[in-house]
Amino acid sequence: MKKRILTALLASAMILSAASCGEKAAEDTTTTAPAAGGDAAATDAPAAGGDAAATDAPAAGGDAAAEEGKVLNIHAWNEEFKGFFEKYYAGTKPVNAGADGEEGTADDVYYDKAPGIPEGVEVVWTITPSDGGAYQTKVDEMLKAQETAAADDKVDFFLAEADYILKYAGSDKTLDVSTIGVTQADTMYNYTAQAASDANGKMKGVSFQCCPSALIYRRSIAKEVIGSDDPADVQAALSDWTKFEEVAAKAKDLGYYMTASYAETYRTFSNNATEAWVDADNNLVIPGVVKEYIAQAKKFMDNGWTLPDGIWGDEKNAQMFAGGKTMCFFGPAWYYNFSMGNAQDPDAGCFGDWAICQGPQAHFWGGTWLLAATGTDNPTLVADIMNAFTINEDICSALVQNEKQFSNNTTVNQKFADDPNYGNAFLGGQNDTAIFVELAKNIKFENSTIYDQLLNEGLPGQFLGYFEGTATEEEAYAAFYQYVNENYPAIVTP
Amino acid sequence: MKKKSISYAKWGYIFIIPFFLVYFICSIIPLLSTFYYSFFEYYENGLDVIGPTFAGFDNYIALFTPTKSGNIKLLDCTYNTMIMWIMGAVPQIVVAMVLALIFTSTRLKIKGQRFFKTVIYMPNLIMASAFAMLMFTLFSNVGPVNQIIQGITGETFNFFRNTWSARTLVAFVNFLMWFGNTTILFMAGIMGIDQSLFEAASIDGATSTQVFFKVTLPLLMPIIVYTLITALIGGLQMFDVPQLLCGGSGDPNGTTCTLVMYLNSFLSGYRNYGMAGALSVILFIITGILSFIVYRSLVTDESKGGKK
Repeated sequence: MKKRILTALLASAMILSAASCGEKAAEDTTTTAPAAGGDAAATDAPAAGGDAAATDAPAAGGDAAAEEGKVLNIHAWNEEFKGFFEKYYAGTKPVNAGADGEEGTADDVYYDKAPGIPEGVEVVWTITPSDGGAYQTKVDEMLKAQETAAADDKVDFFLAEADYILKYAGSDKTLDVSTIGVTQADTMYNYTAQAASDANGKMKGVSFQCCPSALIYRRSIAKEVIGSDDPADVQAALSDWTKFEEVAAKAKDLGYYMTASYAETYRTFSNNATEAWVDADNNLVIPGVVKEYIAQAKKFMDNGWTLPDGIWGDEKNAQMFAGGKTMCFFGPAWYYNFSMGNAQDPDAGCFGDWAICQGPQAHFWGGTWLLAATGTDNPTLVADIMNAFTINEDICSALVQNEKQFSNNTTVNQKFADDPNYGNAFLGGQNDTAIFVELAKNIKFENSTIYDQLLNEGLPGQFLGYFEGTATEEEAYAAFYQYVNENYPAIVTP
Repeated sequence: MKKKSISYAKWGYIFIIPFFLVYFICSIIPLLSTFYYSFFEYYENGLDVIGPTFAGFDNYIALFTPTKSGNIKLLDCTYNTMIMWIMGAVPQIVVAMVLALIFTSTRLKIKGQRFFKTVIYMPNLIMASAFAMLMFTLFSNVGPVNQIIQGITGETFNFFRNTWSARTLVAFVNFLMWFGNTTILFMAGIMGIDQSLFEAASIDGATSTQVFFKVTLPLLMPIIVYTLITALIGGLQMFDVPQLLCGGSGDPNGTTCTLVMYLNSFLSGYRNYGMAGALSVILFIITGILSFIVYRSLVTDESKGGKK
């Protein structure tokens, strides 16, 4: 009996408390509702018309966009473009900007000058790292759900890399940007437009950078090995692969490595392929240049001219410190700006001890394109952003001067290339833009497929056992074919 | 009226409904659909999805087809998984048993038991991925271990490019993570044994070895079987540690590629649901067979002994 009373008591207590909670919640909403309503409708509305809800939108430029979606959804795989976007377009300072000094930094000028996004529009970045194809998986999912997604959840634009841009540019999930007011400007590098176009020549997006890749070398080591650190002399000594190997042997004798990764030169070969990875019937074709790479990498590993590390490996990155023993790296402007943090380290780095030259073979590496997604609810804003990063000379100049990028604007690039006072302190004052202007003329974007990314990223790793001598060449090929089958079921391997 | 007794059974059923509902939606349906799709050609190609079209046993045949160099990756991966599991599980069970005996010994009466128990259980609380990253940093070519080796020998040793050092590291991480858990289980098992049996044994003049083999071990058998089977299932699903330590394809040359890493490779590029499904079904069957073998070989022995 006692038990029963107790349970009854407990139960009623529970019900009571639940009920009172419910009441409270109901009260809360009822009391706040009129207040909120009054705020917007009664008091503010007559005064400042379209502030929040944007009624008829008079004056000001961004108003067409203000009628569009309230959320700008951007997908990316790292923070690089996000930084540029916030600094030069949105003008939103990072939250911790005042950490060092309240007065802000030299960058404040840019934040203040930025065009800004229309009021009431929220920018949502979704960053998914690209390892193992995770970024593409995410974007694929979002694009497939695009039609059914709520307007504010639709992807507006997303970033894509050279390796897989064809997959998106060739599909109808991306928007022909000429319909929203973006066309190929004369100042754009032709290959950047070509890469972002589908089979019918419809351009689906733009790139804010042009990515000719150079040979980046350590001045102090070059002086010892080649006898000079002048880009012209170094270029003369490394103008083809035979010379490159001769210098590698010499570097080894002096206790240096020529490169820090067995995959370091991969792109210089693969970018110059004269055949695509797959033929018309989806059969795997190993391009001749890739076979050349395999032979060269084997030679470099056998001779100890390179370190046995991956292209993004820690051991390679450690070579960028002042104590590093590696002479050559290959990469475009974004590589030494964004990926050579160790070299720029104020204590352990070797800022200024670098320079670039064309190297044995012209090539490009990567590059980031902005692709408009079909179904975007912010077309005006998307178009404006695309134009800002390609034809707005102020922003392009800032990208070169401030971010040491090589912009996708020939006029701006030429201006810096011709400027005798312009130089990159990281490269010991060398005018890198002048070198890239020449290199950019040789970029071809040909023979790409929708499979390039994991084929290019996977090949060197699958052959590492062969380079090291723990697997035969046949075994390495077999492992690579197996890898292809696993990742791209549609490709037919030998 | 009087005949009618009040049955509370229905409440029991009502209370277990939520579990079965969740189990049905989150386990049974995916399980059956895995079986179903394993018979289909069903994959992504770019933004397109190919299939599902019925393909019979094609996916299974593809899994057992040798590669160009003549080996069957499925069998290689099974071997890798088992070898790395055994390398980790054998020391795990032996060490756990020794520790459990020490901690439960009435003669030793170790002080600070709680402290030791916490410490040996601690590695299990750390995420496997964090543990693997820690090991990777420690043993990488530019890590502290290699700095010591370089200081002594003048050369670095690349732990992750040598089959046996890489496998040993994977097994070691798994051992470190799980021996504490096993120790606690064994301790619970030993403490559950009636103390009077130990007393009787010592009165009869049994040595410690005899007590262990004739009293403790037989009575601990159910716990050992449980531990072995759960460890085996966990071992067959070994993924995070080798994936992080040895790269996605199981470096060097795929010698640390486990079954689940192989499964993952079908889902990392353009996803291949059919093949991944077929491999999952095979994994399911392997797990079932091995668990059955372990159960049979250990439990029947014990029940025979008990019947006497």
